[in-house]
Amino acid sequence: MAKGLWSVIGKSVLGLLALVALVFLMGIVMGFLGAAGVVTMDGAVLWIMTMFSVVIMAGAFWVAVAWMRSIDEAAREAHKAAWFWGGSAGMAVGGVGVILAALPQAETLRFAAHDGRTDPAAYMAAGAFGMMMLMMIGYAVVWAWWWLARR
Amino acid sequence: MGLVVAGAALIDMHNRLKVLRAERDWSQAVLAERLGVSRQTVNALETGRYDPSLPLAFKIARIFEQPIESIFSDEGALP
Repeated sequence: MAKGLWSVIGKSVLGLLALVALVFLMGIVMGFLGAAGVVTMDGAVLWIMTMFSVVIMAGAFWVAVAWMRSIDEAAREAHKAAWFWGGSAGMAVGGVGVILAALPQAETLRFAAHDGRTDPAAYMAAGAFGMMMLMMIGYAVVWAWWWLARR
Repeated sequence: MGLVVAGAALIDMHNRLKVLRAERDWSQAVLAERLGVSRQTVNALETGRYDPSLPLAFKIARIFEQPIESIFSDEGALP
């Protein structure tokens, strides 16, 4: 196990607990503001989720940096190779979908993105999520291959 | 035997890590500890499937008290 890994895991758990507490506190504050008519329910949810998404993504990036600093150079090389080759391959697969979705003929397609939603924002989120998943699959495959080939 | 992409050329790299480690009766774990890397990395180095960075190569040379070129060589250096 990489040196400093337990420190990264411990700080990540503490960070997640702090985030849960922050969301809880913001929920109380937004509840009061909503009762006072300062914000609407949708506005309160948007504020809380904006804070949540910014903090959790910044935290995830911090974990990635701390993780990369804690592992040795070969392990780092595996991640670089996985990011470039796996991520690029996944993006190439997703790129086919992007091109097809951009065709005028795709306008006739009707399907629910998620939660039965068919609005543009839902399609954007579904497309971005799909691309991320394909890149992550490519990343995982190349990372596993890199290590298996060097055992 | 590692293949390193250097520019457009593919270079076969060789090393004597396994021999040097065996001469000192060190396990891979011991060498890994001394180098500050994982045992898997030492194994990848020994089998030639991973070529070290310059800083790690220098560290290896210091630990074995030998010049880098006596531990690592490319195909051009072979007789």
